[in-house]
Amino acid sequence: MAPARLNRPRVALRALFWEFLKVSLFAAGGGIAWAHRVAVDRRGWLSDAEFTDIVSLCQFMPGPNVVGVAVCVGAKLRGAAGAVAATAGFVVLPGVAGFAIGTWLFRHTGIAMLQHILMGISAAAAGLMIATGLRLLRAYRRQPPALLIAALAFAGLALAKYPLLVVLVACAPLGIGAAALVGLRAR
Amino acid sequence: MSEPAALGRLTAHLAMLAAISFGGVPSVLPDIREFVVVNGWLTNQDFSNFFAVAQAIPGPNMILMMSFIGWKAAGLPGAIACACATFAPPCAMYFIAYRFWDRFREARWQRIARAGLAPLTAGLVVAGGTVMAGAADLGWPAVAVTCGAAALLLLTRLNPLWMIGAAGVLGALGVI
Repeated sequence: MAPARLNRPRVALRALFWEFLKVSLFAAGGGIAWAHRVAVDRRGWLSDAEFTDIVSLCQFMPGPNVVGVAVCVGAKLRGAAGAVAATAGFVVLPGVAGFAIGTWLFRHTGIAMLQHILMGISAAAAGLMIATGLRLLRAYRRQPPALLIAALAFAGLALAKYPLLVVLVACAPLGIGAAALVGLRAR
Repeated sequence: MSEPAALGRLTAHLAMLAAISFGGVPSVLPDIREFVVVNGWLTNQDFSNFFAVAQAIPGPNMILMMSFIGWKAAGLPGAIACACATFAPPCAMYFIAYRFWDRFREARWQRIARAGLAPLTAGLVVAGGTVMAGAADLGWPAVAVTCGAAALLLLTRLNPLWMIGAAGVLGALGVI
């Protein structure tokens, strides 16, 4: 297709599978950074700009973003087969192993100490999630309309406990409208 | 929950949520928690345990968490159905969007939509974390751990695994 692709050696499906398997296993909390290290720095499959492009698409879309990076990198290098290979590497083996460990653990939640460990981990993981959201908001700290929309989404989901679909349908037009107004004023 | 109709309902709900999970699967957690707890498939404690294990094990955390939910609700078939429901619709959407991406990359509506949705998704992720912090209904030591982990992630470059590990140790010592 694109001329740039002709200069590029054909990437083996097996390599896609293994590299994304490693991304999945070693990149707790920072899958995208690890995927960058593999696809751009170590393997040279993509340029920095191409990778950034893929990440910005995936952050815009619903779903687990790192899986999206696997789908897109695979699709870019080897089309549909590449997307399947990269996604399978990312999901299947780590998923099966994690499932086996998890269900084994849950058989023993009667043990008070295990239950307490899980409670501690759950509390910390919730904090990490809150911090991730706040970090995304940092870029908007001087934009009151954006902050207001974030607050509305938060209140709708966490406090009023509306279904996600309701919150999205209510807030997305507001957010996009505000961004359009800001964009017009900036011109 | 043994009848297939209930598993069908759970899977369909998950697939729908996955398809609208802007901000990633964390934004789905409050909704899915309401859905499974109200239907009596999981207790709050189950939900909180699944969350903890999914976050502590390396791999695709949220797909793993949904497979635990399916397993609790309907055994191994439930686990497989729920895992697929969580990642298949977004994967198909990524693939299709990737094909069209170049055409619309520079379009103004695209940039506006992205700028408008980004703060919304940030709010949804914070909501997911807040709901999970309250899920197990714990005392102030757990709240302190939640706030501490959040502050450390925001203010330092420490690997998050340290926070998870330290919180597990605090739990083992009976602090939480």
